[in-house]
Amino acid sequence: MTILRRVNWRRYGLVVATLPAVLLVFLASAFAPVISPYDPYALDVLVMLEGPSAGHLLGTDELGRDILSRVIQASRTSIVVGLVAVLIGASGGTLIGMLAAWFGGAVDAVLMRFMDIVFCFPAILLAVILMANLGTSVLNAMLAIGIIFIPGFARLTRAVAQTVQRQPFLEAAICLGVPGRRIVTREILPNVIGPVLVEAAVAFSYAVLLESALSFLGLGAQPPEPSWGNMINTGRGFIDQAPWISLAPGAALFLTVFSFNLLGDGLRDVLDPKLRG
Amino acid sequence: MLRLVLGRLASFVPTLFVASVVLFLAVNVVPGSAARSALGIQATPQALKRFEHQHGLDRPLAVQYVEWAGKALQGDFGTSFQNAVAVGPEVRKRIPVTLQLAGMAFLVAIAIAVPLGLIAGFRHQTGTDGVLTTLATLFGSTPNFWFATLLIYFFSLRLGWLPTGGYTPYLEDPVANLQGMLLPCIALGVVSSGLLIRIMRTAVIEVTFSNFIETARSKGVSNVRLVTAHVVRNALIPFFTVSAVEFGFLVGSVVIIEEVFRIPGIGSLVLVGIINRDYPVLLAAAMSITVIVLVVNLIVDLAAQLIDPRQVQVAR
Repeated sequence: MTILRRVNWRRYGLVVATLPAVLLVFLASAFAPVISPYDPYALDVLVMLEGPSAGHLLGTDELGRDILSRVIQASRTSIVVGLVAVLIGASGGTLIGMLAAWFGGAVDAVLMRFMDIVFCFPAILLAVILMANLGTSVLNAMLAIGIIFIPGFARLTRAVAQTVQRQPFLEAAICLGVPGRRIVTREILPNVIGPVLVEAAVAFSYAVLLESALSFLGLGAQPPEPSWGNMINTGRGFIDQAPWISLAPGAALFLTVFSFNLLGDGLRDVLDPKLRG
Repeated sequence: MLRLVLGRLASFVPTLFVASVVLFLAVNVVPGSAARSALGIQATPQALKRFEHQHGLDRPLAVQYVEWAGKALQGDFGTSFQNAVAVGPEVRKRIPVTLQLAGMAFLVAIAIAVPLGLIAGFRHQTGTDGVLTTLATLFGSTPNFWFATLLIYFFSLRLGWLPTGGYTPYLEDPVANLQGMLLPCIALGVVSSGLLIRIMRTAVIEVTFSNFIETARSKGVSNVRLVTAHVVRNALIPFFTVSAVEFGFLVGSVVIIEEVFRIPGIGSLVLVGIINRDYPVLLAAAMSITVIVLVVNLIVDLAAQLIDPRQVQVAR
């Protein structure tokens, strides 16, 4: 128990509190086939539109499929899209941001001006248009959402890199004749990673939200492949008789987004306690 | 002052230009898909060629862009691929609908965010602050299309208080118009208020710790006056500049909310354009949303500087 008392709860509390929820989402998607009570694609006409019961904990949909199993299966789509999109956005954005900060001048001006303009588009509008042209599939959803994240990460990375570049230790490194590539990878990059991680947690939750929105509009995951977004959309048609069809995937989506947002706040507390306003 | 306004306007033009190029490219990433979806899967190669030639789609993208932009500047957005109807008037008819929805939703967001953000800021680092900040994250994490679905379920289907969707023009029947707008505005506004609460809170905290508040306090200004005349007034300015960014997000979300509530605004026109692969419609609708966002940002930028010249450097 002394360990518990020694933990700085002000600093780590939020991360510790949100970690179980975050782990639950990851474990559920990793072990989806094992923990699903039913096959998420199995039709059963005998139990169409049935409410929650002991047999089907979250009820069944209009084709008699088990909603709990489909919600679990759909978490895979959300997690994979979230991870890949954030990876695309973070790596692309970090690269552009660091290039802009390191070279400065015209390179910086052109890159960041372009980023600013992409940034000013409403994200969902850009995602919808990109999806329409790339074609509706989960793979393209990752790509479209990833591209949208690039400007945000680029701005953040550039700001951090510029601060680092003004530090005396970096001037010292330059004076000592350390080659530029080494300075960027060994001195600047490690300093950039912390803030990028915080942003990544928040971006992940936003990616999950965007993917669901795209699937809700019929532009992301295509039925019968379950996704929280397309399940909510299907449920709208049966909302009067069977509200649970929309309710369950929406609650899963909401709780996932909420816990990752809180995790982002928590990581901020851990990495930079000065930032907590 | 005039120089400042002219400067802002001058930088607005290239922004608009690049934005329109980005949008044009985004819509035309995959060549040839427009003809195929307009004519169907069974269309012969000759028919596809003829369609593309007829609509000028076989020319270089740069040529197509210049022609489109030139006409768009005169308010001519071409004709729909689907039914050969002029796109311009259709867009102009829908803009007021979306503006009303977005504007009222933003008011809902502000009405929630300003008081809650003020309380959180004043109760900085207390339990109240913690609860309100978590509440802000909770609001911001809500998927608006799911929230909208729940609102329809409870208020329209279970309680029967409000319509499930649809749109009545304000001039035709103001009461029906407002009844129809209420749920969409709540769905958009509550979600947007999440970020706005945080912005307001930060603004209040920053002002509270500034020197002039200290001075006012030491002069013996009463607490009530300190809060209303000094803190709130100074916190509202940065709040409005930053909230313009959130307004951009809100206008984008209109695409989804108009679909859920069957509101005939520009957002639903974007979806119509996408489903039919109707590029003139899609481009015109997406461009109007972008212009709305850019103009709102410009106005807020200028207004903030007119009210408070200190903001010049702060503006993002």
